[in-house]
Amino acid sequence: MNANGPVRVAFAGAGKSFGAVRALSDVDLSVRAGECLGLIGHNGAGKSTLMQVLAGTLAADCGQLLIEGRDLRQGYSVQVARQHGIRCVFQELSLCPNLNVAENTRLMSPALRGFGWRRRAGELIEAMLEQIFPGHGIEADDIVADLSIGKRQMVEIARAFINVDERLDLIILDEPTSSLDARVAEQLLRHVRRFAEGGGSIVLISHILGEMLGTCDRIAVMRDGRIVETRAARDFTHDSLVEVMGGTAREQQQATEDFASRREQGSPRVEQRPARQADGRTVQAFAGEIVGLSGLAGHGQSQLLTQVLRDCVKHGSGASFVAGDRQTDGVFALWSIAENITIGSLNQLKRGLLLNPDAEQAMADDWMKRMSIRTPDMSNPILSLSGGNQQKALFARALASDSQIILMDDPMRGVDVGTKREVYSILMEEAARGRTFIWYTTELEELTYCDHVYVFRDGQAVLDMPRSELSEERILRSSFAEETP
Amino acid sequence: MNAPLNSVARAPVAARNNAARRARMLRAALPAVSLVVLLATIFIMQPRAMSYMGLNLMLNLAVPIALATIAQMLIISVNDLDLSMGSFISFVACVAVTLLDQHPFLGWLALAGCVGVYAVLGALIHSRNLPSIVVTLGMSFIWVGGAILLLPSPGGTAPQWLQALVRIKPPLIPLAIIVCIVLGLAMHFFLMRSTVGVVLRGAGGNPLAIAKAGWSLLRIKVAMYAMAGGFGVLSGLFLVGLTTSADANVALRYTLLSIAGVILGGGEFVGGRVSPMGAVLGALTLVLAGSLLSFIRISPDWQIGAQGAILIFVLALRAAVNRMEVRPL
Amino acid sequence: MKSRRHPLRRSLLCAALAVAPLMALPDASHADTADKKIALSNNYAGNSWRQLMLASWQQTTDKAVKDGLIASADSFTTAENQATEQAAQIQNLILQGYDAIVINASSPTALNGAVKQACDAGIIVVSFDGTVSEPCAYRISMDFKQTGIEQMDYLSERFPQGANVLEVRGLAGVSVDERIHSGITAGAQKHPNLKVIGEVNGNWSPTVAQKAVSGVLPSLPKVDAVVTQGGEGVGIAQAFVAAGRPLPAIIFGNREEELSWWKKQSDTQGYQSFSISSGPSISSLAFYVAQQLLDGKQMPHDLLSPAVTVTQQTLDASLKDLPKGGIVSETYSVDDVAKLKPAASL
Repeated sequence: MNANGPVRVAFAGAGKSFGAVRALSDVDLSVRAGECLGLIGHNGAGKSTLMQVLAGTLAADCGQLLIEGRDLRQGYSVQVARQHGIRCVFQELSLCPNLNVAENTRLMSPALRGFGWRRRAGELIEAMLEQIFPGHGIEADDIVADLSIGKRQMVEIARAFINVDERLDLIILDEPTSSLDARVAEQLLRHVRRFAEGGGSIVLISHILGEMLGTCDRIAVMRDGRIVETRAARDFTHDSLVEVMGGTAREQQQATEDFASRREQGSPRVEQRPARQADGRTVQAFAGEIVGLSGLAGHGQSQLLTQVLRDCVKHGSGASFVAGDRQTDGVFALWSIAENITIGSLNQLKRGLLLNPDAEQAMADDWMKRMSIRTPDMSNPILSLSGGNQQKALFARALASDSQIILMDDPMRGVDVGTKREVYSILMEEAARGRTFIWYTTELEELTYCDHVYVFRDGQAVLDMPRSELSEERILRSSFAEETP
Repeated sequence: MNAPLNSVARAPVAARNNAARRARMLRAALPAVSLVVLLATIFIMQPRAMSYMGLNLMLNLAVPIALATIAQMLIISVNDLDLSMGSFISFVACVAVTLLDQHPFLGWLALAGCVGVYAVLGALIHSRNLPSIVVTLGMSFIWVGGAILLLPSPGGTAPQWLQALVRIKPPLIPLAIIVCIVLGLAMHFFLMRSTVGVVLRGAGGNPLAIAKAGWSLLRIKVAMYAMAGGFGVLSGLFLVGLTTSADANVALRYTLLSIAGVILGGGEFVGGRVSPMGAVLGALTLVLAGSLLSFIRISPDWQIGAQGAILIFVLALRAAVNRMEVRPL
Repeated sequence: MKSRRHPLRRSLLCAALAVAPLMALPDASHADTADKKIALSNNYAGNSWRQLMLASWQQTTDKAVKDGLIASADSFTTAENQATEQAAQIQNLILQGYDAIVINASSPTALNGAVKQACDAGIIVVSFDGTVSEPCAYRISMDFKQTGIEQMDYLSERFPQGANVLEVRGLAGVSVDERIHSGITAGAQKHPNLKVIGEVNGNWSPTVAQKAVSGVLPSLPKVDAVVTQGGEGVGIAQAFVAAGRPLPAIIFGNREEELSWWKKQSDTQGYQSFSISSGPSISSLAFYVAQQLLDGKQMPHDLLSPAVTVTQQTLDASLKDLPKGGIVSETYSVDDVAKLKPAASL
């Protein structure tokens, strides 16, 4: 690991405010040539803001942005960043869904022009995808809208590594693995190491501590807009990282021991056969249960949730849905946070024929406290929140409603550990009150909260495990190949 | 061991991609298929239409509509909507039969000014973040007002050269068809195949991403609006060439026709999903649907309804095809 | 296609011209047009006048088809009352092979391109009501001046010893008002016994006319008669009643409510009057013009249509079939075509 290369980019006392909120204050941070720098912290700690400043999409208010020793803060822009070989893969996907993969590649590489640009762009992106994600199954003329979110992420990442007659020194990866399944994430991290060893610099932002510890040379921890700690990755442990971030190390789950099945009596509240299920097996969920759906990304878990939702709507029994793809399924982008929360519970908020604004306000404020949504005012637009806090608002919407069935489509994607923990405890609490949760998650750790776990492969539920039998190894095995349970 | 594992994991994904691709193909083919079906029906009902003169008569008024549809498509591809298209074209028509005929220099200046106004509109809508529907609705009154000032009562004369130009009778294929094909192909290559077109469409798909990639959204909008204005001018000129005179309301229905044409042609109101070929085909479909109803001799009381029914039918087919596009996870 | 049609058309025309003088006119209309098709291209059907106009077309052409005068005569109405739409419609009609197209146009000029195409294809184009300015087409317009003269003719006959006449005009500045007024003036010159003692604007509306007449009545001597432009008769009568003045002879405009009022007065008080206005059945007249042109008859391109009149004798008959809110309409026959007068210029 090369942690002693020359400093390529450095922040010195950089600061940035949005109105009264200080998003960054007095940040000192340097990135060296040939290193992978990890950046970690709570949602809203300022990681994305800092990286947007580096990428040129936001301007810092004060301090210095030194690139190769020169302060370029004044007049810094995306173009200047690109001229100095700095690129960013943003957290919110920045592909154009209406264009195909080759065309999206071209958007980032103005040097691709003239006759035959389309073919050349296609060859470049396919080669790069092959290099980073062997066996990716993406073609250059696939329209991005047709690709799953994981594949879009792969395209976005591969696109950033393509270099046509330009400098390419530093790539910022803002939660690149959040939509990737474990195997593909592993491929990416290997490529990141290769790139760093070849002399390039990477800034990696992730909430998955294991991949940060295993991939980065150094890790910088942010809290409340400041860098609070920068150390070599080998000097951190899982627990010490969490500690520095401001959380407390998680106690080992004791749940497996005190597991009590709720399936002894009564009938399931939800019973659904996956659309492509070949045998008669069904996914069941009882009152008070948290049911997990697992397996590789894109193997029919989300479709099952949609099926359940459709049936619930058809039978008039309420169900709430917490979306993972916030941008398309979740938030009403032009509405306030309060409106985004109360939209799921309008029936409870009626006074006569009209909505009661006081009740709306009260509900919003109540959930702001319960979910600790970090905002000065619930009537601010939802997009003023950071990604994790937006997700909390979506949880609040589902939990505030009176539905007994709550469906979750990988909702913790890109949410920091502290927030996750808060949400988990609320889930457990609500389940104890008799609500049913069906939860698709890509993080194996989250399955330990589930009473039953169904593993999906090729659109079918291939394995049903109660918590007492939960094992990571069995999940992985049945995700990949035939296994008789 | 590794290889079979991989293929098992990838099989459904590949299948889904293929399904999406098939649905996309179908969707792209739908405007052409509807047009062919419509044409075939017309030829069966009225064999006379299957001739040079027949096609020319049925389609020459489709050319200004196709041009207006292309203009509207440019606006729609950056997620805006132009509700002033019809009144703008009426205004252009009035300029063409008054100023352009009597004082050619002033006339051309005024038409160039029209394109300039569109460019300014684009800049205004982008920089002030105004809803395009409101701005263009306002503009529609201004255009109509201007048209009435120029030409208070119906009349005027289109310049002779213009009349001659739109009546050219090329051998074998009527002018209307040649213009439509050239228009569709040229716009297809520009918008769908060129690097500039990719950026322009990208601005409709994900404006933020385009901005982050370092392109100027302002310039994109200005360019799109100016081009839309240019096609509007062409549409108005072609129209008066055919009608030989104008009135202030001559093209009001083009606003809705152009929007319907874009949507019929496979475009969508948001997301930069448009198709120039489809838009031209959509415009032709709209015009031919009117002809067909007239040939079937549907009672006048029902014609409006029947025209709507054809539109709804084609769009319902579209919706059915859309459902085949499996929503990615 | 075009080149084949022209000689055919010309030879037909020549033949018809050669034969025409040899035949008695009424009978000549049959044989040659029995296989011809006429279309009506109409821009708008949204008011009662237009509905009556279409009904009249339907009635006349149904009979003509049954009698073998013509092969078919279909009507087409555009949906949105827009010139481009009607132009496309006319082009479709050309394609459908109609021999003549009768047009009630949405714009006097914007259809000229399509009309010219029709003429070039050898099709006879007759426009009425909303006429087109393309020279190759025929135009049938109401003879508004004549309606003014006829009103004065009636009054002169009714009051041989002389009368004071009040003139209620229409909307100031509109050409129709000017033309009817010029007819009244001409009538006054023609009949020196009639004296126009006052002039007000009634804007073709009963309520406006009532107000205007009430305002001017106190300053007027005895009024024997009122000439109008059609439609405001009842309002004028009410103004006289309200002022306690004896009812003059009011010329009506063929509206149902006017005729009903007239009938009531006539039944109770022996009231006598006269009614004249343009009729929506002008469409059937246009049909006969087209048919006669197809038959080879030569006519000037600009024609004036006569007005429809109701007299004391025809009042009961006119009122009998008139629906509430309707307008008296006359069903024309082929013979009326011969009575059309050429217009000097419009």
